[in-house]
Amino acid sequence: MSAQQQISTSVESDERQRLLSLERLTQRLHLKNNIASGILALITLLGALLFILIVIKVLWDGIPYLINPDFYGSTGTGTVGQQIFNTLYLLILSEIILVPIALAAAIYLVEYARQGPLVTVIHFAAETLAGVPSLVLGLFGYLVFATVLHLGLTRLTGTLTLLCLNFPVALRLFEDALTSVAREQREGGLALGSTKWHMIRTVVLPSSLPGIITGIVLSAGKVIAEAAALIFTMGSSNPSNVYTLNPMISTDNLTIHIWYLKTVGAGTIPDNVANAVSAGSAALLIIILLVINIGSRSIGRLIQRKVMAA
Amino acid sequence: MAANSVNVKTENTNTARSIGTRRGRLSDQIARGIFFVCAVLVVVIIFGVFVFLGINGLQMFKDPAARNFFTSSSWDPSADSPSYGALGFILGSVVTTLLSIIIVAPIGFGMALYMTEMAPRWVNALLRPLLEVFTGVPSVVIGFLGLVVLVPWIANIAAPIAPSAANAGNGWAAATLILVIMILPTVVSVSIDALRAVPDSVREASLALGSTRWQMMKDAVLPAAATGLGTAIVLGMTRAIGEALAVSMVLGGDIHLPAKLLTPSVLFQPNINITNAIVLYFSEASGTERNGYFMLGFVLLIISFLFICVSRYIASRSVYK
Repeated sequence: MSAQQQISTSVESDERQRLLSLERLTQRLHLKNNIASGILALITLLGALLFILIVIKVLWDGIPYLINPDFYGSTGTGTVGQQIFNTLYLLILSEIILVPIALAAAIYLVEYARQGPLVTVIHFAAETLAGVPSLVLGLFGYLVFATVLHLGLTRLTGTLTLLCLNFPVALRLFEDALTSVAREQREGGLALGSTKWHMIRTVVLPSSLPGIITGIVLSAGKVIAEAAALIFTMGSSNPSNVYTLNPMISTDNLTIHIWYLKTVGAGTIPDNVANAVSAGSAALLIIILLVINIGSRSIGRLIQRKVMAA
Repeated sequence: MAANSVNVKTENTNTARSIGTRRGRLSDQIARGIFFVCAVLVVVIIFGVFVFLGINGLQMFKDPAARNFFTSSSWDPSADSPSYGALGFILGSVVTTLLSIIIVAPIGFGMALYMTEMAPRWVNALLRPLLEVFTGVPSVVIGFLGLVVLVPWIANIAAPIAPSAANAGNGWAAATLILVIMILPTVVSVSIDALRAVPDSVREASLALGSTRWQMMKDAVLPAAATGLGTAIVLGMTRAIGEALAVSMVLGGDIHLPAKLLTPSVLFQPNINITNAIVLYFSEASGTERNGYFMLGFVLLIISFLFICVSRYIASRSVYK
């Protein structure tokens, strides 16, 4: 056997080994890839199942009570007619206060303000306010609106506290809606000789309407769901007649009622009735939120189509 | 003569137009002023929150008995020699927040990765609205569900190691799981935004170098989105530490920290945190105790403020926005 032959076989076997090890590497990488993909898919599946099961559980437990018309009455135990009215009242009152203020602030930030320290400060303030726990805002509302301004525990105090809570959220959504309007549209309006405010009214606001509606609907969802900010500012029990438009009375709402029945007020009504009311109210709240979230998309799209067609 | 009348006419329209313009200018100025006031209102509110809670909270330190606020864990305002140590409450909030974020982070990142990098379109079409609904789900609904489902379930499992089998379901374990459900949607949504912000060129470059999809995610996408994912974690923690009613419904504690803190059983007995104390006792408190609850609220406020600052700092360092 010559030396040359020896070298060539060793080169060949080296080559073969290299190929083999590369193949093994590829196989290992593919295996790892498959395992990781499987794990990610599994995690997502479990997470999604968790959420879907929660929705189904809440609806399953609650709907038997929801289809009973007595549930919406306002006399006797186990009825939530008053709480539903309070929730709607609070929703409308807080939107009436919130929307103009938040929209005005958004218009200032998008249309008028120059990029500079002031805008940075306002955005930082909004971001910080959005991160303040709602319970802490409840304490603030109690201190300022109920005590310093002498409004007491009333619907108005609750509404003003909700304004603080929802202001940054609505501001963000409205800003997004306004910035989505093309610059050319604005310039077209200004080139026709209108003042800025006139241009905003006639050009920017109509074309950003879908986004604004989405913002209103989403903040409505937050008002309906909120409870922690309200227990110290609006109260957790009802006067004899809640069906008035008087903002100066102390009432509860659906979410506070659930909390009250299961904690502080446990034992005021029989346990099974409390569970029934809570389950029913929880299902009602989930249904409202589902409708709001699905509705906000389709309403926005619908309006967009109308505006585009006009 | 004819020329003259034309002249007069143009002058008339000129003055009319200038009046109109002036009125327009004026309303423009007024509108601008109103908008400005509304925009500054945000700053006024957040400033007010800090000032009012700070002043009322710090007033508690006028009472010499309250000096142990940050050094003791014994909160007993109604005792003969009252004690105002808040460490127990703070510990409760910190423990539940940390445990829940440790559970949520891998699940949230995994879901976000799957949804952005791998999922077929219909999965996203189904999951995105579901996540949005869950970010806004009322905390009392989750709390109620926790009471009727989670607490009995934990009680069954944990009864052998809990000090009292009857209420083994209440406590930090239940609170942590409730927080997991409450902050997972937030963390997933923010993580998805962070992953979406990574441009496709990063993915393509990695794939072109021959990496598998998992290598691409692990070595290219995740590092590129690291700052955004950090923001997701911090925002999740901000939500977790301030969550009040749902947590308070399942905690079941009053004012006492359990004696044995370093055993696993501490998770499975009625326990305390900051929000639970405020929710349960604030409305009937007075004097130093009442200021103490404001101080607890102020502590929460400071913690969330720090979280927001950290998330802003992380976000400012991110390359892709």
